[in-house]
Amino acid sequence: MDYFVKASKLTVGYDGKALIKDMDFAVKKGEILTLIGPNGSGKSTILKSITRQLEKISGAVYIGENEINEIDYKEMAKTVSVLLTERVRPELMTCYDVVALGRYPYTGKMGILDKEDKKIIEEAMDIVGIKELSNRDFQKLSDGQRQRVLLARAICQKPSVIVLDEPTSYLDIKYKVELFEILKKMAKEENVAVILSLHEIELAEKISDKIMCVKGDRISCFGTVEEVFKKDIIKDLFDINDEEFEMYFSKGILVD
Amino acid sequence: MKKTDKDIFNEYGSFDKVRYGLFFFFMLILFVIITILNINIGSVNISVSEIFKIIFFKEGESGYYNIIWHIRLPRICMAAILGGALALSGLLLQIFFNNPIAGPYILGISSGAKMVVALTLVYFFKRVGHVSSIALVAAAFVGSMISIAFILFLSRYIKSMSVLIIGGIMINYICSAVTDFVVTFASDSDIINLHGWSLGSFSASNWRDVLIAFVIVLITSIIVFLLSKPISAFLLGESYAKSVGVNVKIFRVVLILLSSILSACVTAFAGPVSFVGIAVPHLVKRGLKTSKPVVVIPACFLGGGIFCMLCDLIARTAFSPTELNISTVTAIFGAPIVIIVLLGNSKRRD
Repeated sequence: MDYFVKASKLTVGYDGKALIKDMDFAVKKGEILTLIGPNGSGKSTILKSITRQLEKISGAVYIGENEINEIDYKEMAKTVSVLLTERVRPELMTCYDVVALGRYPYTGKMGILDKEDKKIIEEAMDIVGIKELSNRDFQKLSDGQRQRVLLARAICQKPSVIVLDEPTSYLDIKYKVELFEILKKMAKEENVAVILSLHEIELAEKISDKIMCVKGDRISCFGTVEEVFKKDIIKDLFDINDEEFEMYFSKGILVD
Repeated sequence: MKKTDKDIFNEYGSFDKVRYGLFFFFMLILFVIITILNINIGSVNISVSEIFKIIFFKEGESGYYNIIWHIRLPRICMAAILGGALALSGLLLQIFFNNPIAGPYILGISSGAKMVVALTLVYFFKRVGHVSSIALVAAAFVGSMISIAFILFLSRYIKSMSVLIIGGIMINYICSAVTDFVVTFASDSDIINLHGWSLGSFSASNWRDVLIAFVIVLITSIIVFLLSKPISAFLLGESYAKSVGVNVKIFRVVLILLSSILSACVTAFAGPVSFVGIAVPHLVKRGLKTSKPVVVIPACFLGGGIFCMLCDLIARTAFSPTELNISTVTAIFGAPIVIIVLLGNSKRRD
């Protein structure tokens, strides 16, 4: 099968200054690509650039057949949905209202939800397990709950590509596991391409099909989990020595 | 009986619709009552039956007839239209800056408009002897844009909203200083005109101005209402708005332009009016328990009209025959609401 998201010679950065240069990577539908790397290495910058939140410096990103700058905003919104790290503070909006905004690209001129929209919103809330929160004020939720509401929002946008920037930040272990189950399901059952960035590389190993290591001004490594998760590569990526590596990855702390 | 998921979802929509309906109904009644009170009370009290006779059958005692048709009605209409415009202008700024205490007065936008209008008035009185209302609106718009340009410039470097508001207050002082300077050195006959106006008042409204204000405000407000959908996407912030397909660059410009036209229109006809832009959207959103633009936009407009008519009634009658400035009254009601919003906000951020 063909690659659905493809970057070639992509250079990204802020204010015209290149941060990470000449990246080549590609993801198929149904695959999960995870970006790992030290803090501040530019994972978010890459994600923002491929979702057009940020103007890329040079190179091309193709989604489906088209280069992203040639896709119109609405079409793009029907193809790609995002979960961002920035905090949102909507005043007096229920969770349902927040999730419903994911239907934006599909509703008419005044944004009125029809039956179909409502069904999809319900399903999305069901998948994420937040149905009972639908009438609650979004601002009064815990961070973990908000994150799940925003995930439901991204899901009901019915994307072919979902991009998540550090989606586990506010979640405890139970929700992390649930999140990964949801993402795996989306990838395998609905044939969605999933692109995310993660802090926790041990989690990245478990859910990803492809891994991309971001360090310095380029991608230091891109490949399958087996190819990337080698001691030397990880040590080099996070600048750790043998002892530190053993300390973090030693087995035997948690046995049955 | 235990509620199923289905019930929860069904109730969700219907409860809200009932609340919205009741709220609008309540506002309409309030609107009618305040309108009648406004016509009824004044230096001459006119009975309600007399009012009906004069308005609907255009008959009755000619003194009363003149008071109603030439003094009170245009003034009421002006207060209603401009009040609505102010509330809407404030709402748009709050959405733009994603902050509930943004408003045309507090950000110095009204003062910018006031300054340019004052300069225009003095200049035209000297050269031409009169100024058309449209020219005043245009002048106010230019002034609004100057202030907004400055605020936008500041907002690129200052992310904290409270600091930005201080920037707005400084703009306020600078523009007021310039206005005072102009007023001080203007010739005597200009000052009488300028002084009353620069403090804010709905008095001396006439039908011609009402018509102009009505057309401008109506068209702008309809456009705002039609933009409910992108505005709703903007409630989650710019990045998410972008991600669902809003052309954020264009939309930001449109928001600012619409907000400026509305507040410029107010400043041109009534001078700067304080706090309505913050107080009314806040009260309306609390009352409706939502910030959905489709319902909040019309409710804000209606609420702004009611609020200004009520304040104008108080301004006219509280210390009659002396008339208060409209801002004196709106500040008494509006400023405490701003403080409440601030307190609520700081609590939520913990």
